[in-house]
Amino acid sequence: MKKNNAILLSTPYILWMLAFTLIPLGVVAYYAVTDPVTGAFTLDNLAQLRLYMPVLGRSVGYSIVSAIICLLLGYPVAYYIAHRGKVAQKMLYMLVMLPMCMSFLLRTLAWKGLLDDTGIINNFLGLLGLPTLRMVRTPGAVIMGMVYNYLPYMILPLYSTIVKIDRRLIEAAEDLGCTPVQVFQKVTLPLSMPGIFTGITMVFVPAVSTFYISQKLGSADTSLIGDVIERFFKGNNMNLGAALSLVLMVLVFVCTGIMNRFGDDEEGGVVV
Amino acid sequence: MKRTNRIFTVLIFIFLYIPMAVLVVASFNTGKNITVFEGFTLRQYAELFRDEDLLALLGNSLLIAVLSTLICVGLGTVAAVGIHNLKPRMRKAVMSLTNIPMTNPDIVTGISLSLLFVFVGSKMMGNDNSLNFGTLLIAHVTFGLPYVILNVMPKLHQMDSSLTDAAMDLGCTPMQSFFKVTLPEIMPGIVTGGIMAFTMSLDDFVISYFVIGFDFVTLPVEIYTYTRKAIPPKIYAMFTLLFLLIFGLMVAMNLMQLRSDRQKRSKRAVSDSKSKRIFKRVCAGLAALALVIGLGSFIGMTRQDKTVLNVYNWGMNIADGSDDTMDIIAEFERQNPDIDVRYSTYDSNEALYSKLKNGGVTVDVIIPSDYMIARMIDEGMLLELNFDNIPNYQYVDEIFKDPNTRTYDPENKYAVPYTWGTVGIIYNTKYVDEADLAQGWGILWDEKYADKILMIDNARDAFGIAQYLLGYSVNTTDHDELLACVEKLKEQKSVVQQYVMDQIYTTMENGEAWLAPYYAGDAMLMMDSNPDLAFYLPQDQGFNLFTDAMCIPSCAQEKEAAERFINFMTDPEISGANMDYICYASPISEAKNYMEEYLAESEVVYPPTEVQAKGTAFNFLPEEVSREMDQLFMEVRSTDTAEGGGTEDVIFLIVLGALAVAGVAFSVSSFVKKVKRKTKK
Repeated sequence: MKKNNAILLSTPYILWMLAFTLIPLGVVAYYAVTDPVTGAFTLDNLAQLRLYMPVLGRSVGYSIVSAIICLLLGYPVAYYIAHRGKVAQKMLYMLVMLPMCMSFLLRTLAWKGLLDDTGIINNFLGLLGLPTLRMVRTPGAVIMGMVYNYLPYMILPLYSTIVKIDRRLIEAAEDLGCTPVQVFQKVTLPLSMPGIFTGITMVFVPAVSTFYISQKLGSADTSLIGDVIERFFKGNNMNLGAALSLVLMVLVFVCTGIMNRFGDDEEGGVVV
Repeated sequence: MKRTNRIFTVLIFIFLYIPMAVLVVASFNTGKNITVFEGFTLRQYAELFRDEDLLALLGNSLLIAVLSTLICVGLGTVAAVGIHNLKPRMRKAVMSLTNIPMTNPDIVTGISLSLLFVFVGSKMMGNDNSLNFGTLLIAHVTFGLPYVILNVMPKLHQMDSSLTDAAMDLGCTPMQSFFKVTLPEIMPGIVTGGIMAFTMSLDDFVISYFVIGFDFVTLPVEIYTYTRKAIPPKIYAMFTLLFLLIFGLMVAMNLMQLRSDRQKRSKRAVSDSKSKRIFKRVCAGLAALALVIGLGSFIGMTRQDKTVLNVYNWGMNIADGSDDTMDIIAEFERQNPDIDVRYSTYDSNEALYSKLKNGGVTVDVIIPSDYMIARMIDEGMLLELNFDNIPNYQYVDEIFKDPNTRTYDPENKYAVPYTWGTVGIIYNTKYVDEADLAQGWGILWDEKYADKILMIDNARDAFGIAQYLLGYSVNTTDHDELLACVEKLKEQKSVVQQYVMDQIYTTMENGEAWLAPYYAGDAMLMMDSNPDLAFYLPQDQGFNLFTDAMCIPSCAQEKEAAERFINFMTDPEISGANMDYICYASPISEAKNYMEEYLAESEVVYPPTEVQAKGTAFNFLPEEVSREMDQLFMEVRSTDTAEGGGTEDVIFLIVLGALAVAGVAFSVSSFVKKVKRKTKK
């Protein structure tokens, strides 16, 4: 009886998820192999993908770099927060989360205002009589935009892992004569690995598929795969757009698969 | 060590909050440019509260967030209990299903849902308007559900299963044991999951952007439309208020939790149940409030007895009441109280075409340009107009009805002209040497202005520019000529700062770019706000002379109301008032009497006849040619040209390579260590 109940209770949910996550992916695959005009079966869309490999390569490159930078910037912050008092921890955690709740479109636009040739920073430099800097429309600006937008996604899971590390382990290591560097190397870092892998995945996935950051902070030559998909999808070739999003999806699933393998199997999930 | 870490953390927080500070400061700025602070004002806040449309959008976002959260919490909690009791293998399968929307990039989720809705709704069930409120709600529930499941499941795991058994032994029905034992135990998980689903839904842009039709638009999607043209400063005011609101809520939530934690610790037994009860009441109260708001506005929305007329127009292409102009739509609604206009914008003919071709939406009035009208007529996308309902058509000048000039619709069946104008070069006189203009369109390829040139972001106009430059006909169907144009356009890529449509406003006005091809009326608008800008027509090479006209697409649902709207817009007085704002030439001579003098006499708006004679119109091209042109332009935009050996790229690749190697080495070593440790065990 209990078993029947379980199936009964979960059926609506399973049906919902099948209908709105699995089947749509089938529809994407269907569009990817049909001709935009005639609707007949074709492999043309897939054949054209070759043209967009450099763009895909660039997206992957930028996202890996920004994930690594996020890790380097995020780890000390997460470590710092995890070693505060209870109240301070809560408040700092909230301050990291807050930007995630505000429109990322406007925040990115604000960065453009800061970095433009005629932007705030350059205006300021001009006032001081310094030469202006070329910042916007460089790969660096796009990567900075990614780091800025997705840094909280790195800090939060790192914090959740570091805060759970048993203090006694660290004390034990110290008692056994480890230097602080050794403690970090041999205890803290290995124990925060799951957080690191979750963080990297959580930065990489949205970064590799973003389509707004590069439009605002990049140049005509820093289009990312997300921009291209959006352009095709909103332009009149949904089919090629569908083919490209299939590629993106496979890429992301492979990457998260690898990350999950490295990370610990226990309750990997989301730790926002 | 600790000290440096503290300083570092402070720096990171500054980094996280700087852009927000910029936006907050911008909300008090008297000027509309965020880069220059001109003076302090609270005007933007007053304007925000007067802007009913913007508040309605916020209401829409809240409505969808509340409804989707309620559904997620209900469906998700029940499902979590079910999944918890499933056999392990089955449970694993369901959990990986749950993980799909979590791991999938948002853009793929958005596209897949949008394709599903259009495919099932429009192609299988024949509903033209398949991207609507319902489908948006489905999308939000779909990405919200996993948050509830993933937060409730751990609580169920932690719960002692003998508790429910005990309750049942003591005579509870399964129902009672769920409500009395299980539910209180998993409540914190439900609340956290619900809050997450709510915030995700409220702030979602990417998925909504792909799934949204014209019926129901949420705030983040509209903000995207805003960021693509000149952004009104009241948006910054709204951002500031939302920031304060969310900040306040978060602080309050934290304080409440801290206090209850402390109480729990001090007098555990007594206050535990008390604070829990209070918490429960607060939760129940909030849920009830949300339900009432949700249902209330839902009923309010469905009970609208007005005819909804969807007008789909170019961005910045109708007078909206700002700068002492007439608010045309408000005036139309005043004269036609039974009609409620829903207005949205596109930024190129191609975008309009794709939107209609991709399906899932309905609109009643569109305003494409000549060549696009011809293409749409050819593909059966337009309805014939009933001119009995458009008596004002008599005011339109004869030349716009003459089949020789009106090649796009020679029989006068489908379109009523709205504006006409030219495409020329807008340049900043402060930085551009006027002698260089002798190159005509070639100046847009000039290395001297590299990175300060904007290029128009639509196929036909871009090819047109290349064709004028190369001396081809703009109506050519010759394949080799098209390919030569592609080469020319690819060559230009290295000097182009951005490919733009409506974004041209901000970039040209603040001097970030110096040169751009664009439409005369928009050029007038920009020259109005930055007097350094000027407009040039390369008469020797030729330029495009276009007509935009109002049409009714075949997906329209309110044809009669649409014709009333077209008739209204063709009234000379209204047309004149409209041109005052959009700065184009009216196809109705009489409208000049109602226009401001400087516009009616401007040679940019109304070029002299001998200049007009040098312009050419874009004519109909066969479908294959139009498609090919679109594809080729997409290719120009999206693929890398001549992978340059720029030092920037080389450095970047080296850094990338080094980081990748380091990352792999690190991962492998830690993996090996882990394996070693495991084998030791």
